[in-house]
Amino acid sequence: MLGYIVRRLLWAIPTLAFVSFISFVIIQLPPGDFVTAYVAQLRSGGEYITELQESILREQYGLNDPLLVQYWRWISNIIFYGDFGRSLEWNAPVSDLIWERLGLTLILSSLSLVFTWMIAIPVGVYSATRQYSVFDYVFTVFGFLGKGIPDFLLALILMWTAFAWLNMDVGGLYSPRFEGQPWDFDKIVNMLSHIWIPLVVLATGGAAGLIRVMRANMLDELRKPYVETAYAQGFSERTVVWRYPVRVALNPFISTVGWALPALFSGDVITAVVLNLPTTGPLLLQALKMQDMYLAGSFILILSVFTVIGTVLSDILLALSDPRIRFS
Amino acid sequence: MKNYKNIFIMSSAILLTGTIAGTAWAFQEAPMLAEKVRAGELPPVEERLPENPTVVNALEVGQYGGTWSRAFKGPGDRWGPTKLMEERVIKWSQEPGGELKLVPGYIESYSVSEDSREFTFTLLKGLKWSDGHPVTTEDVEFWYNDVFMNRDLLASVDQTLAPGGKPMKLEVIDEQTFKVSFEDPYVYFLEILAKDSTGEPSLDRPSFIFPKHYLKQFNNKYASEAELKAAAEKFGVEKWQDLWGSKGAATAWWQNPELPVITAWKIEQPAPADVVTMVRNPYYYAVDQAGNQLPYIDRISHRLFSEQEAFNLMIVQGQIDMQMRYVEPQDFTFYKENEAKGEYQVNRWTQAQTWSLVPNLNTKDDVLRSLYETPDFRQALSIAIDREIVNDLVFSGLAEARQASPVTGSPNFDPDLETHWAEYDPDRANELLDGIGLTERDGDGYRLRPDGKRLSIVVEMQHANGPKTMEIIADNFKSIGVELLPRLIDRTQWDASRDNNEFQMQWFPFDRLSVVAADPRIMMGSDSYANQYYIWYSTKGASGIEPPADHPIREVFAKWDVAAKAATREEADAALTELINTFVTEGWVIGVVGEMPALSIVKNNVKNFREGLIEDDITRGVGLAKTQQMWIQQ
Repeated sequence: MLGYIVRRLLWAIPTLAFVSFISFVIIQLPPGDFVTAYVAQLRSGGEYITELQESILREQYGLNDPLLVQYWRWISNIIFYGDFGRSLEWNAPVSDLIWERLGLTLILSSLSLVFTWMIAIPVGVYSATRQYSVFDYVFTVFGFLGKGIPDFLLALILMWTAFAWLNMDVGGLYSPRFEGQPWDFDKIVNMLSHIWIPLVVLATGGAAGLIRVMRANMLDELRKPYVETAYAQGFSERTVVWRYPVRVALNPFISTVGWALPALFSGDVITAVVLNLPTTGPLLLQALKMQDMYLAGSFILILSVFTVIGTVLSDILLALSDPRIRFS
Repeated sequence: MKNYKNIFIMSSAILLTGTIAGTAWAFQEAPMLAEKVRAGELPPVEERLPENPTVVNALEVGQYGGTWSRAFKGPGDRWGPTKLMEERVIKWSQEPGGELKLVPGYIESYSVSEDSREFTFTLLKGLKWSDGHPVTTEDVEFWYNDVFMNRDLLASVDQTLAPGGKPMKLEVIDEQTFKVSFEDPYVYFLEILAKDSTGEPSLDRPSFIFPKHYLKQFNNKYASEAELKAAAEKFGVEKWQDLWGSKGAATAWWQNPELPVITAWKIEQPAPADVVTMVRNPYYYAVDQAGNQLPYIDRISHRLFSEQEAFNLMIVQGQIDMQMRYVEPQDFTFYKENEAKGEYQVNRWTQAQTWSLVPNLNTKDDVLRSLYETPDFRQALSIAIDREIVNDLVFSGLAEARQASPVTGSPNFDPDLETHWAEYDPDRANELLDGIGLTERDGDGYRLRPDGKRLSIVVEMQHANGPKTMEIIADNFKSIGVELLPRLIDRTQWDASRDNNEFQMQWFPFDRLSVVAADPRIMMGSDSYANQYYIWYSTKGASGIEPPADHPIREVFAKWDVAAKAATREEADAALTELINTFVTEGWVIGVVGEMPALSIVKNNVKNFREGLIEDDITRGVGLAKTQQMWIQQ
């Protein structure tokens, strides 16, 4: 198994190189470049940049160089110095921008993953074992509603409700007075009082689909002979259900653990933007809009690394949970 | 704290002369600075202020202290913070309801020679940088010789400071006084200084002065190559030139806390911190009428947001103390409903812009272009629009139906121009179109162009109010047989369309309508209705498209040439007025609604906010409110 993991990780290197190059190219595909976007932004703020200033900027950022040169400048620094380059827009090292946001993103994504599972697994199991019961229908309706309402809309509704009726302080991950302050107990408590909105939003979106998957898998498993055998042996329903079919039905959950991170990075950008969360999503979106290629490229690269690691992790977990799976 | 507040002692002499004799007066300072003085970290306030500090008349003498909370959209949004504290030799000033006028900034006096060629400025005696170093004409010389004229740093000089390609000249008279001169008369130089300043290559332009004692270490005239290299490395940029410029690591005030400034606040915690903060400059040169050193407010903090709804929620939750930027008229009702809950008030200034349909006179579609060039066609499009409906439905009735022409309060305001072709008359519009031979119609009732195609115009937009407005205007145009096809596109694409001359028409906030002399470029077609013609004009024919020999835009260009070189103010103003008249009466740009309010949120405990002024880039946005005299009740 160790050999397998090493092989997988080695394969990841050319994959990452390829992904980083393609993403770098794609970022540059739209018309214009960072300076075009930057100047446009200044113009919308009412400022006028002369063409001369524009060309100076372009020169300063090395945007006149061929794409390959720009790519090499960026990737070679990452490989040799671990330096992700500078964000053109923020005029700051990419690493300064990313890490804290990445930490918060990780916290949020793992919490919401746990939360999603806490909803999806019991509900899925219940729906399968009590198929076509009243609660099965109720959960199904809610599940489809959760899937159907766009996340950002739900976020807006929750924020409005919390603000207008509960008089809560909404938006962001903590109150303004904690912004930029070092982490302490009060700040964590304050964060917990804010974090429920994104958690609910992210979990309802994700849970709905998983409930259906869990339900379908369970239904498949419950009809299998080994279940009947188990019942025949006189085990209680609880033991039968939770010890065997659930374990098998969890299979797709485990194999998608690796995608949870990238999904939070990218899939829920709009929610994060609406909620004004200090996570990576809004930063990535802005970087793409501004064609801030070193920042956006680094994001996508880190994202790919996470995907690769996550996939390896889920493979390992899968092997542990399901002895039928073998590495070859 | 009580000792410092509400000092109402006032001398009539102060009000008359506008200065305070330093020896006769005891100045007061903020408690946070007094503490530092006691600790020996700062010299006493009398020594920090100039001999005769500038007096900024506060609406009401205020209290020191507090943090002013605002929100911003990221580093690209630094004009929000910048405009709170820009300093110039000359600044615009406006009393509520009054006209704009120029007043001296950090100088004692200025004078202009009779032929408008020479401009003399005298710096405040004893003016100091934020690190306590004196500001003298040495800093002016440094700016001129080592930066402005330094071709290693700046490839060439901006047109506005080098009319006819000849850069302005500098002559230093003494430690305090300097003179700049031009080959030809340049009557609008002061207006341009007040708006654009001179601080090239940095975009934050205090005009004429750069802190030599600090910046010389990054300048190739003073530092060795090795030193420059080390400096570049320290700031993490590739070349020493990157330390300078609009986003220069060393010369950008909002990035480098070490950079000495003369502004009321200076950066304390730059981006990419979660909260960007600015703190008071202990050496700020101005006092209020009671001798209190300004500013009153200790700190300004900016919280990052990216979505309008997030910002709106901050407002109604009372998290914004005072802000104008991003407070949108279309959310007016929402702000008003929550005034009590958020403990703020919504205030109104007037925006110096008119939301307009801008046809592209240089469009690549020949048939459309020749229609655009037909005055009756332009008039028909303009009078077919029901502006009142647009105002009511899209702008909450807060704006005014009008043409794209100078706004109320502008020295160039003219009521006749404001209403030119702006009355709703679809019957007349139909007659006009019939009159120019567009009588054929297709099955859907749309007119046919001379080449037999349906007369349709693609209008590009990227602003939130676009789609709603276009729905109304498309309906209006349908009734005169013209098809309007709205396209909501991305900002970058929107600009690229214009740069590459790819658009037929755009929905555009046509601005710079307060003091036209300070920036007539948009009115002359730049980045607007005739970008290619303007490029032809500004590059002296090197690129762009040459307008036809009899094209009236040549008159606009000619008038600016006259105004820019006129020997007297009267002559220049006359030419400028003709330029504006030609632009408006030709009706190249179809103004729809304008003079809408620039809304601002002011918390109930934020005092001395001036109301009813003009919001424009020319007047430096909220800067016109003299932010250093605003205060927060503790």
